[in-house]
Amino acid sequence: MLKIENLKAEIDGIEILKGINLTVNAGEIHAIMGPNGSGKSTLSSVIAGKEEYEVTDGSITFNNEDLLDLAPEERAHEGIFLSFQYPIEIPGISVSNFIKTSLNEQRKFKNLDPIATSELLRLMREKMKLLNIKQGYLSRNMNEGFSGGEKKRNEIFQMAMLNPKLSILDETDSGLDIDALKIVANGVNTLKNNENATIVITHYQRLLDYIVPDYVHILHDGKIVKSGDKNLALEMEEKGYEWITKEKSL
Amino acid sequence: MSLVKSLESYVAKNNLSPEKKKLFASFINQGFPTIKDEEWKYTPLKKIISLDYNINNQTDQTLDATFIKNNSLGLKHKIVFCNGNLLEAPNISGLTVSDFSDFECRINDTNTLLNEALAKNGYTISVESNVTIEEPVEILFFNTLENSFSQYRSIISVMKNSSIKFVEKIYDLSNSNSLVNNFTKILCEENSNIEFNKIQNNTPNSKLIDCMNIFQERNSTALVNTFIFGGDFVRNNLNFEQNGKNCESNMNGISLIDRDQLADNHTFVDHKNAHCRSNEMYKGIYLDKSKGVFNGKIMVRKDAQKIDAFQSNNNLLLSDLSSIDSKPQLEIYADDVKCSHGCTIGQLDQEALFYMRSRGIGVEEAKAVLTYAFTSEVIDKVSISELQKLIRDVLAKKLNVDLDFSLV
Repeated sequence: MLKIENLKAEIDGIEILKGINLTVNAGEIHAIMGPNGSGKSTLSSVIAGKEEYEVTDGSITFNNEDLLDLAPEERAHEGIFLSFQYPIEIPGISVSNFIKTSLNEQRKFKNLDPIATSELLRLMREKMKLLNIKQGYLSRNMNEGFSGGEKKRNEIFQMAMLNPKLSILDETDSGLDIDALKIVANGVNTLKNNENATIVITHYQRLLDYIVPDYVHILHDGKIVKSGDKNLALEMEEKGYEWITKEKSL
Repeated sequence: MSLVKSLESYVAKNNLSPEKKKLFASFINQGFPTIKDEEWKYTPLKKIISLDYNINNQTDQTLDATFIKNNSLGLKHKIVFCNGNLLEAPNISGLTVSDFSDFECRINDTNTLLNEALAKNGYTISVESNVTIEEPVEILFFNTLENSFSQYRSIISVMKNSSIKFVEKIYDLSNSNSLVNNFTKILCEENSNIEFNKIQNNTPNSKLIDCMNIFQERNSTALVNTFIFGGDFVRNNLNFEQNGKNCESNMNGISLIDRDQLADNHTFVDHKNAHCRSNEMYKGIYLDKSKGVFNGKIMVRKDAQKIDAFQSNNNLLLSDLSSIDSKPQLEIYADDVKCSHGCTIGQLDQEALFYMRSRGIGVEEAKAVLTYAFTSEVIDKVSISELQKLIRDVLAKKLNVDLDFSLV
């Protein structure tokens, strides 16, 4: 599904990604862990198409299509979804209106008519139930005055509504208490199937108790330095990131 | 021939009353304001008044009902003028409408003076005491005469304990260099309530100078919403005078203009009595080479204690060549008041744009949604759903996107 080869990217002339290789197939969950500044968020931004980052080398293909040629909205139409580490507040537009607009823009791309209001409401109710979201939330302004946990839940709610092929969850666990974490993880697990894939970017192992990855990759200084199964995450947690940095410098 | 010359020649040929002659003479003496005048510093009239206008614009043109409907909000109650002639007035119990427009008003600037001297067209509306008119009344001024200079002059009296809502549209059907000098006086008696909405979405070369003076008695509430979506030139003077305790003056606006259009909102709230409020929220969006001007003056007189006055003016400059001159002007002579003002000028938030694009919303649509979101607070101030819909539709059209901004 996703194939990243020797990806190098920089921002303001500073190289952040220094040759990433990663293959994600349908049905898989990958976790990317790493210390602060290792390039985790840059990687997710580059996949989603944030224009501030300049890709200087390498390639990203998604279902055999060159992703780097596509605008962010086109990547979304192809089925890529980024759950933001810091979701943006948009005063003046309600959650329901925002979701309706994005859903219909994606449908327009697929030559489908706008979604019927009754169908939209039914779908929203179903996904709200899944994420234990209360009524009244739909008419609130997008992320405005939301708590950290509400913002993250809103990201997963959008993911549930848009039904992407590849979801990248950037530090979705930060700012969540344990109950909210369980709800979010349950949502992600329920939406998981053999047709889609998930990349979970996290600092801590905790989230991976609830969203169990097939593969764990350790990112350090812009490169994936170690890959393994879920046990690698446990080992990381135990030994700390210093373990990797030391091992690298040996 | 310049406008002043055309006016002089018109006056020479017509038999004016001595009072009108006197008024016209003072107008000539003062002349149109120039950019040396502080109130007109950013809004040059020079080009506009140098054009050739037809002054004598009386005709008996009529418009058919379907045409009127297509050029209006389609509300049940309408007052329709064509080239100054009253074509239609609503039949509402407690409301009287006539085309009498010869009344006196405090003269506060040159354009008002000219209006008082020579205006022939307009209406008088009177809402009887203790009457609540739920359904809004649409006021339509159409002009079909090419390159015309028209002056409308109207007075609205809302008597004790009454309430009414209006939507006014001044529209040029000749699609030429027309200029309108519109003056409206509103008298709000005790416990009255008025909502007055202005749609200023005129043809590309039309020009409008609009002055509205509102006089409020105690416990009255007045709301004026101004929506500028087009026309070559728009200047609004909106003045509130609070003559009793516990008055509320509210004014809001959205300006969304493009090409080399100019939109100027000058507001003035005169807090002359204690325990009164004013709320002001103007949002401007400027595309291409367009130019916005905002001047919000709030005066709190010596004995006007316990005043709450809020003013905000937020602007989006969506092109490198657009501009806004924004000036809050607070003069406070009382010591127990709450006054605040805020002004922002900026561009669309790039992070928010990326966020929306990552959800599959195209870049133009994302910009349009953010721009709509920027204005939505003001749209919420309108209580007439047909008008809210019109504003959303015009916004989408002006921003060139096929989006329905209405709520799910």
